[in-house]
Amino acid sequence: MTDLQIYLTLVTFAVVIGVIALDLIDMMVAGLLGVCILLVLGIIEADDLAAALRIAAGPLSLLFGGMVVARVLAKTGIFERVGKLYLRATAGSGKRFLLLLVLIVAPTCAVLPNATTVILLAPVIIRVAQELQLDFVKPMILTAIVSNSAGMLTLVGDPATFLVGSSIGMTFGQYLQKVSLGGLLAVLVIIPLLPALMPQIWHARSNVPAETVDAPIERPGFVVLGLLILGLMVVLFLIGEELPTRIVPPAVAIIAATLALLVIYAVRIEPLDNVLRDLDWKTLIFLGAIFVLVQAFSKTGLLQGMGLTLNRWFGSDFALVALVLLVSIGAMSCLLANIPVVAASLVMTKGFMVAAEAVPDVALAGGFTDWPAATLPVFIAMMFGATLGGNATLVGASANIVSVGICAKHGHKVSFSRFLRYGLPITVAQLVVSSIYVMGLTWLSR
Amino acid sequence: MIGHKITVLSRTCVAFLGTVALMVLIVDPVCAGEVLNAVKARGRLHCGVSAEIPGFSEKDPKGQWQGLNVDFCRAVAAAVLGDGDKVDFVPLKASNRFPALQARIIDLLVRNTSWTLTCEAVLKIQFPAVLFYDSQAFLVPAETDITKLAELNGATVCVEKGTTHLRNLKDYFRTHEMSVNPLMIDSASEFAAALLDGRCSACTADASQLAATGLQAQGTPLAFRILPERISKEPLSPAVWGGDQEWTTIVRWVLYALVLAEEEGVTRDNVTTNVSPKPPGDWLALSGEQGKLAEAMGVRTDWAVRAVKAVGNYGEMYERNLGRGSPLKIERGPNRLWTEGGLMYAPPVE
Repeated sequence: MTDLQIYLTLVTFAVVIGVIALDLIDMMVAGLLGVCILLVLGIIEADDLAAALRIAAGPLSLLFGGMVVARVLAKTGIFERVGKLYLRATAGSGKRFLLLLVLIVAPTCAVLPNATTVILLAPVIIRVAQELQLDFVKPMILTAIVSNSAGMLTLVGDPATFLVGSSIGMTFGQYLQKVSLGGLLAVLVIIPLLPALMPQIWHARSNVPAETVDAPIERPGFVVLGLLILGLMVVLFLIGEELPTRIVPPAVAIIAATLALLVIYAVRIEPLDNVLRDLDWKTLIFLGAIFVLVQAFSKTGLLQGMGLTLNRWFGSDFALVALVLLVSIGAMSCLLANIPVVAASLVMTKGFMVAAEAVPDVALAGGFTDWPAATLPVFIAMMFGATLGGNATLVGASANIVSVGICAKHGHKVSFSRFLRYGLPITVAQLVVSSIYVMGLTWLSR
Repeated sequence: MIGHKITVLSRTCVAFLGTVALMVLIVDPVCAGEVLNAVKARGRLHCGVSAEIPGFSEKDPKGQWQGLNVDFCRAVAAAVLGDGDKVDFVPLKASNRFPALQARIIDLLVRNTSWTLTCEAVLKIQFPAVLFYDSQAFLVPAETDITKLAELNGATVCVEKGTTHLRNLKDYFRTHEMSVNPLMIDSASEFAAALLDGRCSACTADASQLAATGLQAQGTPLAFRILPERISKEPLSPAVWGGDQEWTTIVRWVLYALVLAEEEGVTRDNVTTNVSPKPPGDWLALSGEQGKLAEAMGVRTDWAVRAVKAVGNYGEMYERNLGRGSPLKIERGPNRLWTEGGLMYAPPVE
């Protein structure tokens, strides 16, 4: 890429984000315009589109599958019943509503993909908020933020975390030992912030509507099949990659979506066209555009080239480098999808490690797993930065975009600045806690 | 309110379309490889070299870069940009060379890097062609009684960090049932001091580098000897990051053009006057008659002529930097042309 193309890429990216932040153009259209500019300028070509699609295929499949399954389950009436249970558990307290939300979302996202979880839980959360006569936008933003943060709880909780962990050969057990506690702290730090960020909800008291007798299920067979598909999806998310034929989470989502569509077709509840029409295509297209834009950003090589600069500035001071990466990757993940950021940052970090002579040249290649213990906090800092940084803005994570898309579908458009009002303070607090945690790890690994 | 939004939208659209139109006018269509395109647009070649290997890459007292590696960078710049001076030399220590190449900080690495399967298969680095056939040797102080490797059994041997020399050293001593204590040294430039102050009994590195080390020992020109044994093959090659075949082809054929020029008696002095002492052969095909070849490579038709004009043919380049015309006086040995019993061999053009 030429210097001119690098500048044009950065300007294009900045303009797209700026246009979205200022709410000048619909964000999907802004994203597509950015892609068009890069295409016309020859900055991205067919190979780059293919590369971006390879990266985007996983997250987009997860979202598409989650949307289809959630849309089909909506017809079963199950969300209403779960919503009633949730509503009773709140006892009309806004505080309990928010705490239960964290309690439900966090463990779910530790094992299920974030955005898929948001899609599946959104109908329940919105329903309960409406019953308590509360604004559902704030709980939906909280759902997205908690889901991203809880992705740090396990190695498979977030694609970015998985990308870093797998690239250095970290096992599920090692992750639990070294990283999960930090992830838990990142979730817990949200709770003391809630009274200040969402005081109207935190202090709200509502009367829970009197219990009503649930209407009998009209099509029990349909409900059973819907729940079986949901159960199959959850089980395959958990063990699919351990099967003799490895089924990765995006494939699980596609399988579940296909089965759900098959059930809708078979029981003839409604035309398939209705299901497809109700999917959030704007969110899917916007995310695809963002992945292409970030592919162009990665192509500039700016991030990858920072490895030698880090070595020049900080030598072999891994603790300092870990802090710098945590903050800088966190800042970048605010505006960029974290998967491509992490992919580019891995090149940078491995380059730094080789330049610092912590590992041999072959560590630059994939598959190298013999990383010294002293280097691990640097990679763990990357995980925290990439996963938690996305909480700050509307475009920082796919779960945020999905959450905002759901709000829009329910008639409440969420602006960039409104999301930032809640996301930024939480992100700052989480990054501070994570920094302390990573420093502790660095000290222990000495 | 609606009117305001429409105004903002229309202004944004006009700005967008204007920007696109402007960019379409000023940006060249992409037709060559990514690196070649970037080098042309930048107008400079970024070449990664070592900072201080006499004969290969070092700065003279005037601050000018010189050496075999430096000349090869200039030849590539001349072929691609038409001017051998359009090079930015990026001095790199051994551990920085591959990260710099991977991060596209440099377009080309010419830093005494051995062509190995590990680098090709694992790191996806491509080695266009061998620039210098070297081998790993041992340097000892002249006044010691050590005359062969067997006498280094149990000795401390200095080796530069981040190179393949350590593994070769260990392998050789293990297979010959001897022991050795390797002492890692940050840079080969510290070898002479390490030997003189007794930190190690011998230093091991590429033979050419050890010859340079002996030369670097100021005021003690005869202070060191190189032992006769060689323990490895070190085919030193320029390196490019994998995946850009066009760039690999250009770098490879710039080197082959220099070799072909020597084969056919084309020199820096006669290259532009076409006073070739031999009948026209492959050189003529490279030097302008086959414009389609240059077009396919993405370079100007006179690329080979410009490369030779910038640095001379391979033999001239060698003798000036490493051979008879240099303080090192290293015999060409395997770096002679194939017609003279060496290994330097360029494939046919057609």
